[in-house]
Amino acid sequence: MANEVVDHGRRRFLTVTTAVVGGVGVVAAVVPFIKSWEPSARAKAAGAPVTVDISAIDAGQKVTFAWRSLPVFVVNRTKDQLAQLKGLEPRLLDPQSSNTEQQPKYATNETRSIKPEWLVVIGLCTHLGCVPDFVPDIKPEPFDANWKGGFYCPCHKSRYDLSGRVFSGVPAPKNLPVPPYHFVDDTHIQIGVDPKEAG
Amino acid sequence: MIKRYLSAMALALGLFVVTVPAFAQEGGEGLPSAGTNVNDRASLQRGAKLFFNYCVGCHSLKYVRYSRVASDLGLSEDEVMSNLNFTGAKFGEPVISHMPADSAKTWFGKEPPDLSLEARAKGVDFIFNYLNSFYLDPSRPVGWNNTVFPNASMPNPLWELQGLQVAVHSEATPGHDSVVEKLELSQPGRMTPEEFKGATRDLATFLEYTAEPAVLERQSVGVWVVLFLALLTFLLYLVKHEYWKDVHENH
Amino acid sequence: MANLFDWVNERAPNLAPTFRKHMTEYYAPKNFNLWYYFGSLAILVLVNQIVTGIFLTMNYKTSALEAFNSVEYIMRDVEWGWLIRYMHSTGASLFFVVVFLHMFRGIMYGSFKRPRELVWILGMLIFLVLMAEAFMGYVLPWGNMSFWGAKVIISLFGTIPYIGPGLVEWIMGDFLPADATLNRFFALHVIALPLVLLLLVVLHLAALHEVGSNNPDGVDVKHGPKGNRWDASKPLDAIPFHPYYTVKDLVGVGFFLLIAAFIIFFAPTFGGWFLEHDNFTPANNLVTPTHIKPSWYFTPFYAILRMIPSFFGTAIWGVIGMFGSILMLALLPWLDRGEVRSVRFRGMGYRIALAVLVISFLSLGAVGAGVTAELIPEWFPGADATTLENAFGRIMTLAYFGFFIFIWVYTHFGLEKTKPVPERVTMHD
Repeated sequence: MANEVVDHGRRRFLTVTTAVVGGVGVVAAVVPFIKSWEPSARAKAAGAPVTVDISAIDAGQKVTFAWRSLPVFVVNRTKDQLAQLKGLEPRLLDPQSSNTEQQPKYATNETRSIKPEWLVVIGLCTHLGCVPDFVPDIKPEPFDANWKGGFYCPCHKSRYDLSGRVFSGVPAPKNLPVPPYHFVDDTHIQIGVDPKEAG
Repeated sequence: MIKRYLSAMALALGLFVVTVPAFAQEGGEGLPSAGTNVNDRASLQRGAKLFFNYCVGCHSLKYVRYSRVASDLGLSEDEVMSNLNFTGAKFGEPVISHMPADSAKTWFGKEPPDLSLEARAKGVDFIFNYLNSFYLDPSRPVGWNNTVFPNASMPNPLWELQGLQVAVHSEATPGHDSVVEKLELSQPGRMTPEEFKGATRDLATFLEYTAEPAVLERQSVGVWVVLFLALLTFLLYLVKHEYWKDVHENH
Repeated sequence: MANLFDWVNERAPNLAPTFRKHMTEYYAPKNFNLWYYFGSLAILVLVNQIVTGIFLTMNYKTSALEAFNSVEYIMRDVEWGWLIRYMHSTGASLFFVVVFLHMFRGIMYGSFKRPRELVWILGMLIFLVLMAEAFMGYVLPWGNMSFWGAKVIISLFGTIPYIGPGLVEWIMGDFLPADATLNRFFALHVIALPLVLLLLVVLHLAALHEVGSNNPDGVDVKHGPKGNRWDASKPLDAIPFHPYYTVKDLVGVGFFLLIAAFIIFFAPTFGGWFLEHDNFTPANNLVTPTHIKPSWYFTPFYAILRMIPSFFGTAIWGVIGMFGSILMLALLPWLDRGEVRSVRFRGMGYRIALAVLVISFLSLGAVGAGVTAELIPEWFPGADATTLENAFGRIMTLAYFGFFIFIWVYTHFGLEKTKPVPERVTMHD
């Protein structure tokens, strides 16, 4: 029969080579479609660093700014509030901010900030992403008889202190994240860009 | 067989290489060619500078972001923000002219159009020739007319560079009105006629780019895609040839 | 893997045999030539249109206010959006290139003849739905050509006596093409018509596999001698689709992709033929584009519409002529009664008529696209260009319809002198 003339080795080699090359082509053709789901130039432009004026934020107040459509809390903490932070440590999950993904290096300290009084955190609960309430006063609260001021998430009762550090025994697993930011001058911060010395 | 295949492939490629450029140029029938080269980065940069100095006062590029211009033209953020961006927009924002629409209407009779897509709608040749064809015409409300786009409402924005052109009319004969025969420079500008042609070519090049910023990436990616497909097609042919030996033997 | 196969096989025992019957072990005549690539290519383009279309809808905005901007957003701001859009727009034009060649193949080799009339009719339905699909897709970018194209095409329905004007408003949902029109066209373009199209394609293939493929010789391999090296019960001159036509069609796919890539990457507007210049201006209900004409694939039919004058106070004759030109194609199996299928063995009269059909179709395309309007004043300076163009267009319209009339007379009254059809297929390489 004619079968004997067929060079099976050659046939197999050609088929495999072509299949591999064709496979590479298919993968390359899929890449643009996957990439088209990345944030577009418009989304990136809307997510560009924002410079905000903090001169009007009085001591003890919180103002929320939008950066990449995320709520960013900027809090001007009082001396009293700052004094409470140390004593809370035994009740916290990660008091030393050991999880390096939750803040830049320059905010890995007790106040989780560049300047002690100014807290800058992304106001989304690390549990399921609700926006926590700002409950600044040092007084007993229904959810915590020993409340020293902080953030309380209405969705599933997670609590954070005034540095955004999460309490133990609540659903949220991590501290509130600190976005990259720096002080342009005494009254302006730019959110989204690291300080020059840190870069 | 392989020889026949290769020659067929070469013929197809050759035909395409010859015919595609004819279709690649956009529009502008019957006008002298602008001779733009959208891959000429220096030309693009000069064109951008002209646009932002002479055009953006009235015309927007609402689909074009400053940041995109910077990355595509090889300029830094600082260069774009201090040398080109006079509208006070942020780096990532599009180029929007500050001219209030109402006053534009009173001055020119209509709103100056957005120029993002001008090169695709009208053609680069049109833009180039239009910019070279302004002449003084006291009968028009703004004192200017244009041979490529008669009764245009725009005065010559580049008159400082080009100088002033006047029209030389043919003599009116019975049944035929007098028409503009040619344009003559009555007062020279800051550029020589040759320099001005170059400048308007740069401007047309920049608008060719703004009409389709993807053009730069498109062509450079395209070369690799075509080469890859040529290889793949050749391999597929070899596979087909190999398997079809069965069929030919069987006949 | 083998276990999974067994598991499925036990529960759906007909699945594997069906797959074999229609795909891998579909026996096709072994003498397919170049013209037989276009069927599989049409499926390739259909898949391309569906995939790229799905990704376009992810960023397209269905609103008269935002549609144009959203297309530019895709072209500039979405990563690789330009490629996806060009694949879709180029694919649309190439779809018609492929389908026209596929249909011409069918006419040339008599593939529409008994017993394949059903395949042909389903194909014609696919063609009709494809034209509706293309038209509605063309409207979506909401450029000035989209707007006026929509206006003109919808106005065709206004020529129908009595109900016309009401019908036009009903189709648009407004007094001009507007937001409502755009939204309903979007719904039809992205879901309703593609579903119909897919169903028709499946039926087209099922009907084909029931009777088997025709071939360039028009020889009936199914009723010829049996037994080949793969299967003793199958026709002698047939080969299994896989691997032989799989690998052969893939060569066609490679060539096709090469050409498509050239267009997508180096000439995506194709000089204004695939993406018109005037469609880069947003829709404007006050200014009609100077060169208003339909997309190139509609131009032959559009020319017939334009060339037939209105009389008895109505313009419906042009519309009837236009739809009639498509209906004629659908009626081919009953107009052409010749026994011999392939042009290779048919009479000289048929060959000439076929050439006339091709020439008239291409000429009408040129008339509809405004090519003749541009060339005639150049070639015949001083002559009355409109009269010349109308004369040319009308002769070509008559030639187009003449083909069908001629074929009926030629075959019905036994005027055709055919050559003997061979017993077995011929192979040329």
